[in-house]
Amino acid sequence: MNRPFSGHRVLLVEDEMLVVWLLEDMLADLGCAVVGPASSVNQALAMIDAEAIDAAVLDINLNGQMSYPIAEALAARGVPFVFSTGYDKDTLLDGYRAFPVLQKPFHHSELSATLAKLLTPREPSAKSVMAVNAEAPL
Amino acid sequence: MPSEERKSKAQTAAESDVDSFRKDLGPFVVAAETTRMAMVFTDAKEANHPLIFANDSFLSLAGYDREEVLGQSFDFLLGRPAGPDALAQVEATFAGSSKNDFEICFHRKDGSTFWAAVFISPILDKAGDVVQHFASFVDLSKHKEEQDHLRFLLAELNHRTQNTLATVQAIAMQTLRGAANKEVVDAFEGRILALSKAHSLLGRKLWETVSLRDVIDQILQPFGLNDRRVARFSVEGDDVRLQPKAALSLAMLFHELATNAAKHGALSNGAAGKIDITWQAAPTPLGDQMRLRWQESGGPPVTLPGRKGFGSRLIEGGLAQDLDGQVHLDYEPVGVVCQIIMPVRREAEEP
Repeated sequence: MNRPFSGHRVLLVEDEMLVVWLLEDMLADLGCAVVGPASSVNQALAMIDAEAIDAAVLDINLNGQMSYPIAEALAARGVPFVFSTGYDKDTLLDGYRAFPVLQKPFHHSELSATLAKLLTPREPSAKSVMAVNAEAPL
Repeated sequence: MPSEERKSKAQTAAESDVDSFRKDLGPFVVAAETTRMAMVFTDAKEANHPLIFANDSFLSLAGYDREEVLGQSFDFLLGRPAGPDALAQVEATFAGSSKNDFEICFHRKDGSTFWAAVFISPILDKAGDVVQHFASFVDLSKHKEEQDHLRFLLAELNHRTQNTLATVQAIAMQTLRGAANKEVVDAFEGRILALSKAHSLLGRKLWETVSLRDVIDQILQPFGLNDRRVARFSVEGDDVRLQPKAALSLAMLFHELATNAAKHGALSNGAAGKIDITWQAAPTPLGDQMRLRWQESGGPPVTLPGRKGFGSRLIEGGLAQDLDGQVHLDYEPVGVVCQIIMPVRREAEEP
């Protein structure tokens, strides 16, 4: 199988076990090394501090906890990320709508296309996330 | 200030008018003062429509004492963030150039807001000149709250449906991984995702109606609908609104056709193949009917499939019934043709 993102470390934040397995398989099939999964905000924040991360896939609602603090921490470090959610994009808080969203359920090709935008070329993608974040009133 | 003084003279005159009503129309004034319908009278001779009468219901709705509102302009009640649109609406209604009822957001004295349906009607003197306006208010707070709650519930339900479909996808992939052939797994996953895309589109439109173009966009985008490098699709027709059930059925149908085209038809042989989607809606004795045609061309020569799979069963059997119409699938040598005749509503825009 084609593994376009070999060597990239992707943080997976998701609280639903079955969906974790699905996304782990999808990420592994794309060649990514999965960091996590984290199923809570604190767990994710600890991993962001401790681990090297190239990108992140972020569920928005973690058992009732919103994952926006994780998004903040990632943006502050210039780590690109995509929200993965069953919610419609319109229900994102103001200031977060500029970030990419994968609406669950999604096909591995959609994940792949999004990661391609986030990861290549690595430097500009990190900068553009920062720029978007700087413009957005948080 | 002189203008204040003049206004207060006008105010005094207007109030004495009310006093004279009170004498002439005793029981009616008592009724107006005590009815549960919030109401005010304003002075039409002043540009800013100052209040000359406010009944008890109005005062309790707005949270003011009577002396705090009498003499104040009507706009004062709208409160600080009353936008130009709201002010223009009020002005147009007083001027009689707009319909005389509308919904607007007011501020109570304590800063809280309430939505009210307002009805404004002019009061004429014997000469036919507008001397006052009568305005009544129906508090819509509860109604708006219920609407917000309903929207919240619907968003939550949509979210849960999508999450459930994601779980179904995950269960299927875990169950079938390695056990079934990849083609079967892909077909299953594709159908779940098509269903979820249609659900998501319907959810965004609050399960009312959705546009045919939106359905086509959602379903065919993964098949290169908007691919700017290769134009593989042409989509032509005046948009029509679809009921939820018809939208779901058409979404599944387009998904099956496109999947088939990607495997065997016009999307299976590089850039040569093309799919034309055209439709017309027209009135018939049975109501508005749409005729839609999916025409493939430029693909490899078409051969009749040996066995009818789930796809063609879905297209020819189930969907015709769901759409309350007819679906014909033909394996013409130049390419697959699917024709659909079904009832629709022809309006192009949402109400």
